[in-house]
Amino acid sequence: MADGRAQTDPLDSFMWQLYRERYLGDTPVRFDERVRLSAPGFAEDSGQVPVDIDASAFNGRFDRMLLWVELNPIPMVFDYQPLTHGLGRVALNLRLEQGSAVRAAVLSEGVWYVGSTFIDGAGGGCSTPGIASSGKDWSRDFGQVRARRVQTEVANRLRFRLMHPMESGLLPSESPFYIEDVVFTSGEDTVARMTWHASISENPELTIDMRGGDTTRYHLRARDNNGNVLEQDI
Amino acid sequence: MATCWNRISERALVLWLCLSAVPASALTPLPVAPDTWMVQGATEEFDPRNGGDISNSAFIVTPQGVVVIDTGSTLAYGRALRRAIAALTDQPVRWVINTHHHPDHVFGNAAFDDARIMALPGTIAALARDAPAFLATLTARLGETAQGTVTRLPETAVSEGTLDLDGYVLQLYALRGHTGADLVILDPRTGVLFAGDLLFWQRAPTTPHTPSLVQWLADLDELAALEVNAIVPGHGPLARSDAPLLQTRAWLVWLDALLREGVARGATQNELLHTRLPDALARLPLARFELTRSISHFYRRYEDQWWQDGDAPLRPNGEQK
Repeated sequence: MADGRAQTDPLDSFMWQLYRERYLGDTPVRFDERVRLSAPGFAEDSGQVPVDIDASAFNGRFDRMLLWVELNPIPMVFDYQPLTHGLGRVALNLRLEQGSAVRAAVLSEGVWYVGSTFIDGAGGGCSTPGIASSGKDWSRDFGQVRARRVQTEVANRLRFRLMHPMESGLLPSESPFYIEDVVFTSGEDTVARMTWHASISENPELTIDMRGGDTTRYHLRARDNNGNVLEQDI
Repeated sequence: MATCWNRISERALVLWLCLSAVPASALTPLPVAPDTWMVQGATEEFDPRNGGDISNSAFIVTPQGVVVIDTGSTLAYGRALRRAIAALTDQPVRWVINTHHHPDHVFGNAAFDDARIMALPGTIAALARDAPAFLATLTARLGETAQGTVTRLPETAVSEGTLDLDGYVLQLYALRGHTGADLVILDPRTGVLFAGDLLFWQRAPTTPHTPSLVQWLADLDELAALEVNAIVPGHGPLARSDAPLLQTRAWLVWLDALLREGVARGATQNELLHTRLPDALARLPLARFELTRSISHFYRRYEDQWWQDGDAPLRPNGEQK
Protein backbone atom coordinates (compact mmCIF):
# COMPACT_ATOMS: atom_id res chain seq x y z
CA MET A 1 0.00 0.00 0.00
CA ALA A 2 1.33 3.38 -0.98
CA ASP A 3 0.34 5.03 2.27
CA GLY A 4 2.37 3.72 5.19
CA ARG A 5 0.08 5.46 7.66
CA ALA A 6 -3.09 3.93 6.28
CA GLN A 7 -5.76 4.14 8.94
CA THR A 8 -8.34 1.63 9.98
CA ASP A 9 -11.89 2.14 8.80
CA PRO A 10 -13.90 3.90 11.54
CA LEU A 11 -16.97 1.90 10.48
CA ASP A 12 -15.03 -1.37 10.34
CA SER A 13 -16.83 -2.38 7.15
CA PHE A 14 -15.68 -5.43 5.23
CA MET A 15 -16.39 -3.64 1.93
CA TRP A 16 -14.11 -0.69 2.59
CA GLN A 17 -10.96 -2.23 1.11
CA LEU A 18 -12.73 -3.37 -2.04
CA TYR A 19 -14.04 0.08 -2.93
CA ARG A 20 -10.93 1.86 -1.76
CA GLU A 21 -9.00 -0.16 -4.31
CA ARG A 22 -11.64 0.16 -7.00
CA TYR A 23 -12.37 3.87 -6.72
CA LEU A 24 -9.30 5.41 -5.06
CA GLY A 25 -6.60 3.18 -6.52
CA ASP A 26 -3.05 3.58 -5.26
CA THR A 27 -3.48 7.20 -4.21
CA PRO A 28 -2.87 7.81 -0.46
CA VAL A 29 -6.01 7.80 1.64
CA ARG A 30 -6.83 9.48 4.98
CA PHE A 31 -10.02 9.40 7.00
CA ASP A 32 -10.58 13.07 7.73
CA GLU A 33 -13.19 14.97 9.74
CA ARG A 34 -13.10 17.77 7.20
CA VAL A 35 -15.25 15.55 4.96
CA ARG A 36 -18.51 15.49 6.86
CA LEU A 37 -21.49 13.37 5.87
CA SER A 38 -24.89 14.13 7.25
CA ALA A 39 -27.80 11.72 6.86
CA PRO A 40 -30.71 10.41 8.90
CA GLY A 41 -29.77 7.42 11.06
CA PHE A 42 -32.35 5.31 9.25
CA ALA A 43 -34.08 5.35 5.86
CA GLU A 44 -37.73 6.22 6.40
CA ASP A 45 -38.20 5.98 2.62
CA SER A 46 -35.43 3.81 1.22
CA GLY A 47 -36.03 5.23 -2.26
CA GLN A 48 -35.43 8.79 -1.11
CA VAL A 49 -32.64 9.11 1.45
CA PRO A 50 -31.16 12.59 1.82
CA VAL A 51 -27.36 12.78 2.16
CA ASP A 52 -25.36 15.99 2.66
CA ILE A 53 -21.62 16.23 2.15
CA ASP A 54 -19.80 19.16 3.69
CA ALA A 55 -16.18 19.55 2.60
CA SER A 56 -16.31 23.34 2.81
CA ALA A 57 -13.13 23.27 4.93
CA PHE A 58 -11.24 22.69 1.65
CA ASN A 59 -12.61 26.02 0.39
CA GLY A 60 -13.06 24.60 -3.09
CA ARG A 61 -9.43 23.49 -3.38
CA PHE A 62 -10.01 19.92 -4.41
CA ASP A 63 -10.05 18.12 -7.74
CA ARG A 64 -12.76 15.55 -7.30
CA MET A 65 -15.39 14.33 -4.88
CA LEU A 66 -16.84 10.81 -4.96
CA LEU A 67 -19.86 9.48 -3.09
CA TRP A 68 -20.67 5.78 -2.82
CA VAL A 69 -22.93 3.44 -0.87
CA GLU A 70 -21.08 0.22 -0.10
CA LEU A 71 -23.97 -2.24 -0.15
CA ASN A 72 -25.98 -0.81 -3.02
CA PRO A 73 -26.13 -2.88 -6.23
CA ILE A 74 -24.79 0.22 -7.98
CA PRO A 75 -22.46 1.56 -5.26
CA MET A 76 -21.24 4.74 -6.98
CA VAL A 77 -23.54 7.74 -6.61
CA PHE A 78 -21.60 10.56 -8.23
CA ASP A 79 -18.19 11.80 -9.32
CA TYR A 80 -17.97 15.59 -8.94
CA GLN A 81 -15.35 17.87 -10.45
CA PRO A 82 -15.67 21.34 -8.93
CA LEU A 83 -13.52 23.01 -11.65
CA THR A 84 -13.54 26.82 -11.25
CA HIS A 85 -16.76 27.50 -9.31
CA GLY A 86 -17.79 24.37 -7.41
CA LEU A 87 -17.50 24.34 -3.63
CA GLY A 88 -17.44 21.55 -1.12
CA ARG A 89 -21.10 21.38 -0.10
CA VAL A 90 -23.35 19.01 -2.00
CA ALA A 91 -26.61 17.35 -0.99
CA LEU A 92 -28.81 14.91 -2.85
CA ASN A 93 -31.27 12.07 -2.38
CA LEU A 94 -30.28 8.50 -3.08
CA ARG A 95 -31.59 4.96 -2.99
CA LEU A 96 -30.55 2.63 -0.20
CA GLU A 97 -30.89 -1.09 -0.90
CA GLN A 98 -30.13 -2.03 2.73
CA GLY A 99 -28.36 -0.63 5.75
CA SER A 100 -24.92 0.46 4.54
CA ALA A 101 -21.83 2.53 5.06
CA VAL A 102 -21.86 5.66 2.90
CA ARG A 103 -18.53 7.23 1.90
CA ALA A 104 -17.48 10.55 0.49
CA ALA A 105 -13.91 10.94 -0.76
CA VAL A 106 -12.32 14.27 -1.64
CA LEU A 107 -9.12 14.37 -3.72
CA SER A 108 -6.93 17.30 -2.74
CA GLU A 109 -3.23 17.71 -3.50
CA GLY A 110 -2.73 14.06 -4.24
CA VAL A 111 -4.53 12.59 -1.22
CA TRP A 112 -8.02 11.17 -0.93
CA TYR A 113 -9.69 12.45 2.25
CA VAL A 114 -12.60 10.25 3.28
CA GLY A 115 -15.67 10.84 5.43
CA SER A 116 -18.19 8.13 6.37
CA THR A 117 -21.59 7.57 7.88
CA PHE A 118 -23.89 4.60 8.33
CA ILE A 119 -27.60 4.57 7.44
CA ASP A 120 -29.92 1.85 8.74
CA GLY A 121 -32.07 0.42 5.98
CA ALA A 122 -35.33 0.00 7.90
CA GLY A 123 -37.80 2.83 8.30
CA GLY A 124 -40.55 3.32 10.84
CA GLY A 125 -43.08 0.58 11.46
CA CYS A 126 -46.03 1.93 9.54
CA SER A 127 -44.09 3.19 6.59
CA THR A 128 -45.03 1.81 3.22
CA PRO A 129 -42.55 1.80 0.37
CA GLY A 130 -42.94 4.49 -2.18
CA ILE A 131 -45.13 6.88 -0.22
CA ALA A 132 -43.27 9.64 -1.99
CA SER A 133 -42.88 7.87 -5.31
CA SER A 134 -44.81 8.87 -8.36
CA GLY A 135 -44.98 5.21 -9.36
CA LYS A 136 -45.03 4.71 -13.10
CA ASP A 137 -46.79 8.00 -13.66
CA TRP A 138 -43.55 9.91 -14.17
CA SER A 139 -44.04 10.66 -17.85
CA ARG A 140 -46.43 13.51 -17.06
CA ASP A 141 -43.70 15.62 -15.49
CA PHE A 142 -40.73 14.10 -17.29
CA GLY A 143 -37.95 16.51 -18.06
CA GLN A 144 -39.19 19.39 -15.93
CA VAL A 145 -36.61 21.20 -13.87
CA ARG A 146 -37.33 23.30 -10.83
CA ALA A 147 -34.55 25.51 -9.57
CA ARG A 148 -33.88 28.10 -6.91
CA ARG A 149 -30.92 29.89 -5.44
CA VAL A 150 -30.09 31.23 -2.02
CA GLN A 151 -27.27 33.69 -1.48
CA THR A 152 -25.32 32.79 1.66
CA GLU A 153 -22.33 34.65 3.08
CA VAL A 154 -19.85 32.34 1.41
CA ALA A 155 -21.58 30.97 -1.65
CA ASN A 156 -24.51 30.75 -3.98
CA ARG A 157 -26.49 27.76 -2.92
CA LEU A 158 -28.25 26.32 -5.96
CA ARG A 159 -31.04 23.84 -5.60
CA PHE A 160 -32.57 21.77 -8.39
CA ARG A 161 -35.20 19.13 -8.77
CA LEU A 162 -35.09 17.24 -12.05
CA MET A 163 -38.13 15.17 -12.95
CA HIS A 164 -36.60 11.94 -14.18
CA PRO A 165 -37.29 8.28 -13.23
CA MET A 166 -33.57 7.41 -12.85
CA GLU A 167 -34.25 3.76 -13.65
CA SER A 168 -31.30 1.52 -12.92
CA GLY A 169 -32.14 -1.30 -15.28
CA LEU A 170 -31.85 -3.75 -12.39
CA LEU A 171 -35.53 -4.70 -12.57
CA PRO A 172 -36.29 -7.10 -15.43
CA SER A 173 -39.00 -4.76 -16.72
CA GLU A 174 -36.67 -1.76 -16.92
CA SER A 175 -33.89 -0.63 -19.16
CA PRO A 176 -31.23 1.62 -17.67
CA PHE A 177 -32.59 5.14 -18.03
CA TYR A 178 -30.86 7.74 -15.92
CA ILE A 179 -29.14 11.09 -15.98
CA GLU A 180 -25.39 10.54 -16.29
CA ASP A 181 -23.86 13.90 -17.15
CA VAL A 182 -24.53 17.17 -15.33
CA VAL A 183 -22.67 20.29 -16.46
CA PHE A 184 -22.78 23.77 -14.96
CA THR A 185 -21.83 26.69 -17.14
CA SER A 186 -21.61 30.41 -16.54
CA GLY A 187 -21.46 32.46 -19.70
CA GLU A 188 -19.28 30.46 -22.10
CA ASP A 189 -17.35 28.63 -19.41
CA THR A 190 -17.89 25.20 -17.91
CA VAL A 191 -17.60 25.94 -14.19
CA ALA A 192 -18.39 22.56 -12.56
CA ARG A 193 -19.32 19.06 -13.66
CA MET A 194 -20.78 15.85 -12.22
CA THR A 195 -21.15 12.27 -13.43
CA TRP A 196 -24.25 10.62 -11.96
CA HIS A 197 -25.22 6.98 -11.48
CA ALA A 198 -28.57 5.26 -11.07
CA SER A 199 -28.25 5.05 -7.28
CA ILE A 200 -29.58 8.60 -7.25
CA SER A 201 -33.31 8.67 -6.49
CA GLU A 202 -36.18 9.14 -8.87
CA ASN A 203 -36.66 12.88 -9.38
CA PRO A 204 -33.20 13.86 -8.15
CA GLU A 205 -32.87 16.80 -5.81
CA LEU A 206 -29.45 18.42 -5.91
CA THR A 207 -28.19 21.17 -3.65
CA ILE A 208 -24.76 22.53 -4.56
CA ASP A 209 -22.74 25.52 -3.36
CA MET A 210 -20.99 27.61 -6.03
CA ARG A 211 -18.64 30.56 -6.04
CA GLY A 212 -20.05 33.79 -7.35
CA GLY A 213 -21.96 36.90 -6.41
CA ASP A 214 -25.66 37.49 -6.48
CA THR A 215 -25.49 38.55 -10.13
CA THR A 216 -23.62 35.45 -11.31
CA ARG A 217 -25.80 33.46 -13.71
CA TYR A 218 -25.53 29.70 -14.01
CA HIS A 219 -26.89 27.20 -16.47
CA LEU A 220 -27.53 23.55 -15.67
CA ARG A 221 -27.46 21.01 -18.47
CA ALA A 222 -28.25 17.39 -17.56
CA ARG A 223 -28.12 14.63 -20.17
CA ASP A 224 -29.45 11.12 -19.69
CA ASN A 225 -28.18 7.90 -21.28
CA ASN A 226 -30.91 8.12 -23.94
CA GLY A 227 -29.79 11.57 -25.02
CA ASN A 228 -32.57 13.59 -23.40
CA VAL A 229 -31.36 16.96 -22.18
CA LEU A 230 -32.80 18.81 -19.21
CA GLU A 231 -31.75 22.45 -18.93
CA GLN A 232 -32.32 25.32 -16.57
CA ASP A 233 -30.98 28.84 -16.06
CA ILE A 234 -30.64 30.09 -12.56
CA MET B 1 -33.61 -8.08 30.13
CA ALA B 2 -31.87 -5.99 32.76
CA THR B 3 -35.05 -4.14 33.60
CA CYS B 4 -36.83 -7.45 34.01
CA TRP B 5 -34.23 -8.71 36.46
CA ASN B 6 -34.55 -5.55 38.50
CA ARG B 7 -38.24 -6.02 38.87
CA ILE B 8 -38.44 -9.67 39.72
CA SER B 9 -36.83 -10.01 43.06
CA GLU B 10 -39.99 -11.13 44.89
CA ARG B 11 -42.10 -13.10 42.51
CA ALA B 12 -41.37 -16.09 40.37
CA LEU B 13 -44.52 -15.35 38.39
CA VAL B 14 -43.13 -12.03 37.23
CA LEU B 15 -39.92 -13.75 36.24
CA TRP B 16 -41.92 -16.14 34.14
CA LEU B 17 -43.71 -13.26 32.43
CA CYS B 18 -40.42 -11.54 31.71
CA LEU B 19 -38.97 -14.62 30.10
CA SER B 20 -42.09 -15.48 28.15
CA ALA B 21 -41.89 -14.87 24.40
CA VAL B 22 -45.40 -13.40 24.36
CA PRO B 23 -45.33 -10.07 26.18
CA ALA B 24 -48.96 -9.50 25.23
CA SER B 25 -49.97 -12.21 27.71
CA ALA B 26 -50.07 -9.64 30.50
CA LEU B 27 -52.57 -7.06 29.27
CA THR B 28 -54.10 -5.05 32.09
CA PRO B 29 -57.28 -3.09 31.34
CA LEU B 30 -57.50 0.23 33.19
CA PRO B 31 -60.93 1.56 34.19
CA VAL B 32 -61.90 4.74 32.32
CA ALA B 33 -65.60 5.08 33.18
CA PRO B 34 -68.38 2.67 34.18
CA ASP B 35 -68.13 -0.43 31.94
CA THR B 36 -65.39 1.30 29.96
CA TRP B 37 -61.73 0.24 29.86
CA MET B 38 -58.52 1.03 28.07
CA VAL B 39 -55.37 -1.04 27.57
CA GLN B 40 -52.34 1.20 27.36
CA GLY B 41 -49.41 0.29 25.11
CA ALA B 42 -45.78 1.25 25.48
CA THR B 43 -44.80 4.61 23.99
CA GLU B 44 -42.17 2.89 21.87
CA GLU B 45 -41.55 1.78 18.30
CA PHE B 46 -42.04 -1.87 17.20
CA ASP B 47 -39.52 -4.07 18.97
CA PRO B 48 -39.37 -7.78 19.84
CA ARG B 49 -39.16 -6.81 23.51
CA ASN B 50 -42.53 -5.04 23.46
CA GLY B 51 -44.05 -7.57 21.07
CA GLY B 52 -45.74 -4.74 19.18
CA ASP B 53 -47.71 -3.66 22.23
CA ILE B 54 -47.20 0.03 21.41
CA SER B 55 -50.67 1.49 20.99
CA ASN B 56 -53.87 1.75 23.00
CA SER B 57 -56.97 -0.36 22.68
CA ALA B 58 -60.24 0.05 24.58
CA PHE B 59 -63.59 -1.62 25.11
CA ILE B 60 -67.06 -0.87 26.38
CA VAL B 61 -69.27 -3.51 27.99
CA THR B 62 -72.77 -2.72 26.73
CA PRO B 63 -75.96 -4.55 27.82
CA GLN B 64 -75.95 -6.46 24.51
CA GLY B 65 -72.25 -7.29 24.21
CA VAL B 66 -68.77 -5.84 24.18
CA VAL B 67 -67.48 -3.34 21.62
CA VAL B 68 -63.70 -3.26 21.13
CA ILE B 69 -61.91 -0.19 19.79
CA ASP B 70 -58.64 -1.13 18.02
CA THR B 71 -56.97 -4.51 18.32
CA GLY B 72 -53.20 -3.95 18.53
CA SER B 73 -50.37 -5.13 16.29
CA THR B 74 -50.51 -8.92 16.36
CA LEU B 75 -52.75 -11.94 16.64
CA ALA B 76 -51.15 -12.65 20.03
CA TYR B 77 -52.14 -9.18 21.24
CA GLY B 78 -55.70 -9.62 19.94
CA ARG B 79 -56.03 -12.93 21.77
CA ALA B 80 -54.59 -11.46 24.97
CA LEU B 81 -57.07 -8.59 24.71
CA ARG B 82 -59.86 -11.11 24.31
CA ARG B 83 -58.71 -12.96 27.45
CA ALA B 84 -58.46 -9.71 29.40
CA ILE B 85 -62.02 -8.85 28.42
CA ALA B 86 -63.28 -12.33 29.31
CA ALA B 87 -61.78 -11.93 32.78
CA LEU B 88 -63.97 -8.87 33.36
CA THR B 89 -67.28 -9.81 31.78
CA ASP B 90 -69.28 -12.78 30.52
CA GLN B 91 -70.57 -10.68 27.63
CA PRO B 92 -69.28 -11.78 24.21
CA VAL B 93 -67.31 -9.39 22.00
CA ARG B 94 -69.83 -8.61 19.28
CA TRP B 95 -68.34 -5.53 17.63
CA VAL B 96 -64.87 -4.25 16.79
CA ILE B 97 -64.11 -0.76 15.51
CA ASN B 98 -60.78 0.10 13.84
CA THR B 99 -60.07 3.82 14.21
CA HIS B 100 -57.64 3.82 11.25
CA HIS B 101 -55.55 1.46 9.14
CA HIS B 102 -52.14 1.62 10.81
CA PRO B 103 -50.72 -1.81 11.72
CA ASP B 104 -50.56 -1.21 15.48
CA HIS B 105 -54.36 -0.77 15.55
CA VAL B 106 -55.70 -3.50 13.26
CA PHE B 107 -53.62 -6.67 13.25
CA GLY B 108 -55.31 -8.20 16.29
CA ASN B 109 -58.58 -8.25 14.30
CA ALA B 110 -58.25 -11.95 13.48
CA ALA B 111 -58.70 -12.78 17.19
CA PHE B 112 -62.26 -11.40 16.90
CA ASP B 113 -63.38 -13.29 13.83
CA ASP B 114 -66.82 -13.91 15.29
CA ALA B 115 -67.45 -10.19 15.82
CA ARG B 116 -68.57 -7.57 13.30
CA ILE B 117 -65.52 -5.47 12.42
CA MET B 118 -66.23 -1.90 11.40
CA ALA B 119 -64.21 0.99 9.98
CA LEU B 120 -64.48 3.97 7.66
CA PRO B 121 -64.50 3.03 3.94
CA GLY B 122 -61.19 4.86 3.50
CA THR B 123 -59.66 2.78 6.28
CA ILE B 124 -60.77 -0.49 4.70
CA ALA B 125 -59.39 0.55 1.31
CA ALA B 126 -56.09 1.76 2.77
CA LEU B 127 -55.62 -1.43 4.78
CA ALA B 128 -56.36 -3.58 1.73
CA ARG B 129 -53.65 -1.60 -0.10
CA ASP B 130 -50.98 -1.50 2.63
CA ALA B 131 -51.53 -4.73 4.58
CA PRO B 132 -48.89 -6.81 2.72
CA ALA B 133 -46.21 -4.16 3.32
CA PHE B 134 -47.30 -3.74 6.95
CA LEU B 135 -47.16 -7.49 7.58
CA ALA B 136 -43.68 -7.73 6.09
CA THR B 137 -42.49 -4.96 8.40
CA LEU B 138 -44.18 -6.53 11.44
CA THR B 139 -42.51 -9.86 10.78
CA ALA B 140 -39.13 -8.18 10.28
CA ARG B 141 -39.48 -6.04 13.41
CA LEU B 142 -41.24 -8.34 15.85
CA GLY B 143 -39.91 -11.75 14.90
CA GLU B 144 -41.83 -14.61 16.45
CA THR B 145 -44.06 -12.34 18.52
CA ALA B 146 -45.84 -11.58 15.22
CA GLN B 147 -46.28 -15.29 14.46
CA GLY B 148 -49.69 -16.20 13.06
CA THR B 149 -50.66 -12.58 12.45
CA VAL B 150 -52.83 -12.24 9.36
CA THR B 151 -54.87 -9.53 7.71
CA ARG B 152 -58.53 -9.42 8.66
CA LEU B 153 -60.16 -6.51 6.86
CA PRO B 154 -63.14 -4.83 8.50
CA GLU B 155 -66.20 -5.97 6.55
CA THR B 156 -68.61 -3.27 7.69
CA ALA B 157 -68.18 0.31 6.50
CA VAL B 158 -69.41 2.99 8.88
CA SER B 159 -69.82 6.72 8.40
CA GLU B 160 -70.09 9.87 10.47
CA GLY B 161 -73.15 10.02 12.73
CA THR B 162 -74.71 7.72 15.29
CA LEU B 163 -73.82 4.05 15.45
CA ASP B 164 -76.55 1.96 17.10
CA LEU B 165 -75.22 -1.25 18.65
CA ASP B 166 -78.49 -2.97 19.53
CA GLY B 167 -79.62 0.04 21.49
CA TYR B 168 -76.22 1.29 22.71
CA VAL B 169 -75.51 4.46 20.77
CA LEU B 170 -72.07 5.83 19.93
CA GLN B 171 -71.35 9.06 18.10
CA LEU B 172 -68.87 8.71 15.21
CA TYR B 173 -66.80 11.48 13.64
CA ALA B 174 -65.12 10.86 10.28
CA LEU B 175 -61.94 12.96 10.23
CA ARG B 176 -58.85 12.82 7.97
CA GLY B 177 -55.79 14.45 9.48
CA HIS B 178 -53.72 11.47 10.62
CA THR B 179 -54.13 8.97 7.75
CA GLY B 180 -56.86 10.31 5.45
CA ALA B 181 -59.54 8.20 7.17
CA ASP B 182 -59.62 8.63 10.95
CA LEU B 183 -62.56 7.63 13.05
CA VAL B 184 -63.17 9.32 16.39
CA ILE B 185 -65.73 7.79 18.74
CA LEU B 186 -67.62 9.63 21.47
CA ASP B 187 -69.67 7.67 23.99
CA PRO B 188 -72.49 10.07 24.95
CA ARG B 189 -73.34 7.99 28.04
CA THR B 190 -69.93 8.47 29.68
CA GLY B 191 -68.44 11.38 27.77
CA VAL B 192 -65.36 9.31 26.90
CA LEU B 193 -63.68 10.27 23.63
CA PHE B 194 -61.76 7.53 21.81
CA ALA B 195 -59.55 9.72 19.66
CA GLY B 196 -57.50 7.16 17.73
CA ASP B 197 -54.22 8.59 16.52
CA LEU B 198 -55.57 12.07 15.98
CA LEU B 199 -54.41 12.55 19.57
CA PHE B 200 -51.04 11.50 20.93
CA TRP B 201 -50.28 12.11 24.58
CA GLN B 202 -46.80 11.96 26.08
CA ARG B 203 -45.52 10.51 22.81
CA ALA B 204 -44.47 12.27 19.60
CA PRO B 205 -47.10 12.13 16.81
CA THR B 206 -46.35 10.03 13.74
CA THR B 207 -47.18 11.05 10.16
CA PRO B 208 -46.63 8.31 7.53
CA HIS B 209 -49.93 8.79 5.69
CA THR B 210 -50.91 12.25 6.89
CA PRO B 211 -52.56 14.17 4.04
CA SER B 212 -51.44 17.49 5.52
CA LEU B 213 -50.55 19.00 8.86
CA VAL B 214 -53.06 21.76 8.19
CA GLN B 215 -55.82 19.16 7.84
CA TRP B 216 -54.79 17.52 11.08
CA LEU B 217 -54.85 20.89 12.86
CA ALA B 218 -58.34 21.55 11.48
CA ASP B 219 -59.43 18.17 12.87
CA LEU B 220 -58.08 19.19 16.26
CA ASP B 221 -60.32 22.25 16.15
CA GLU B 222 -63.30 19.94 15.62
CA LEU B 223 -62.29 17.78 18.56
CA ALA B 224 -61.77 20.84 20.75
CA ALA B 225 -65.41 21.78 20.23
CA LEU B 226 -66.69 18.48 21.68
CA GLU B 227 -67.89 18.11 25.28
CA VAL B 228 -65.90 15.26 26.78
CA ASN B 229 -65.06 13.95 30.25
CA ALA B 230 -62.07 11.80 29.36
CA ILE B 231 -59.80 11.17 26.39
CA VAL B 232 -58.37 7.81 25.35
CA PRO B 233 -55.58 8.83 22.95
CA GLY B 234 -54.20 6.47 20.33
CA HIS B 235 -50.89 6.42 22.20
CA GLY B 236 -50.11 7.41 25.77
CA PRO B 237 -52.09 7.51 29.00
CA LEU B 238 -55.72 8.35 29.68
CA ALA B 239 -56.37 12.07 30.10
CA ARG B 240 -59.12 13.84 31.97
CA SER B 241 -58.27 17.23 30.49
CA ASP B 242 -57.58 18.62 27.04
CA ALA B 243 -53.82 18.19 27.54
CA PRO B 244 -53.44 15.63 24.68
CA LEU B 245 -55.09 18.10 22.34
CA LEU B 246 -52.78 20.92 23.35
CA GLN B 247 -49.68 18.75 23.12
CA THR B 248 -50.57 17.24 19.74
CA ARG B 249 -51.34 20.72 18.44
CA ALA B 250 -48.07 22.11 19.79
CA TRP B 251 -46.10 19.39 17.98
CA LEU B 252 -47.92 19.83 14.67
CA VAL B 253 -47.74 23.63 14.75
CA TRP B 254 -44.01 23.48 15.48
CA LEU B 255 -43.39 20.89 12.75
CA ASP B 256 -45.36 22.89 10.20
CA ALA B 257 -43.40 26.06 11.03
CA LEU B 258 -40.07 24.20 10.90
CA LEU B 259 -40.84 22.90 7.41
CA ARG B 260 -42.15 26.22 6.09
CA GLU B 261 -39.23 28.24 7.40
CA GLY B 262 -36.65 25.61 6.50
CA VAL B 263 -37.83 25.28 2.92
CA ALA B 264 -38.08 29.07 2.55
CA ARG B 265 -34.44 29.58 3.52
CA GLY B 266 -33.24 26.70 1.34
CA ALA B 267 -32.27 24.34 4.17
CA THR B 268 -31.68 20.71 3.22
CA GLN B 269 -33.59 17.88 4.87
CA ASN B 270 -30.55 16.96 6.92
CA GLU B 271 -30.16 20.52 8.18
CA LEU B 272 -33.76 20.43 9.42
CA LEU B 273 -33.16 17.02 10.97
CA HIS B 274 -30.58 18.44 13.32
CA THR B 275 -32.84 21.24 14.50
CA ARG B 276 -33.03 21.72 18.23
CA LEU B 277 -36.50 20.81 19.46
CA PRO B 278 -38.26 23.03 22.01
CA ASP B 279 -37.74 21.47 25.46
CA ALA B 280 -41.39 20.53 25.96
CA LEU B 281 -41.35 18.56 22.68
CA ALA B 282 -37.82 17.18 22.98
CA ARG B 283 -38.92 15.39 26.16
CA LEU B 284 -41.54 13.33 24.35
CA PRO B 285 -40.66 9.67 23.71
CA LEU B 286 -39.59 9.10 20.08
CA ALA B 287 -39.35 12.85 19.37
CA ARG B 288 -36.17 12.72 17.25
CA PHE B 289 -37.30 9.51 15.58
CA GLU B 290 -40.65 10.95 14.53
CA LEU B 291 -39.07 14.23 13.45
CA THR B 292 -36.75 12.26 11.16
CA ARG B 293 -39.71 10.42 9.68
CA SER B 294 -41.89 13.50 9.29
CA ILE B 295 -39.18 15.43 7.44
CA SER B 296 -39.01 12.51 5.01
CA HIS B 297 -42.80 12.53 4.65
CA PHE B 298 -43.27 16.26 4.18
CA TYR B 299 -40.15 18.08 2.98
CA ARG B 300 -40.81 17.53 -0.72
CA ARG B 301 -44.44 18.53 -0.41
CA TYR B 302 -43.55 21.77 1.39
CA GLU B 303 -40.96 22.57 -1.24
CA ASP B 304 -43.51 21.87 -3.97
CA GLN B 305 -45.80 24.35 -2.26
CA TRP B 306 -42.97 26.89 -2.04
CA TRP B 307 -42.33 26.50 -5.75
CA GLN B 308 -46.02 26.89 -6.55
CA ASP B 309 -46.46 29.93 -4.35
CA GLY B 310 -43.35 31.70 -5.55
CA ASP B 311 -42.77 32.78 -9.11
CA ALA B 312 -40.38 29.90 -9.58
CA PRO B 313 -38.93 28.80 -12.88
CA LEU B 314 -40.61 25.70 -14.20
CA ARG B 315 -40.53 24.75 -17.78
CA PRO B 316 -40.92 21.56 -19.74
CA ASN B 317 -38.00 19.85 -21.37
CA GLY B 318 -37.01 21.22 -24.75
CA GLU B 319 -38.95 24.46 -24.56
CA GLN B 320 -37.16 27.37 -26.23
CA LYS B 321 -35.61 29.93 -23.97
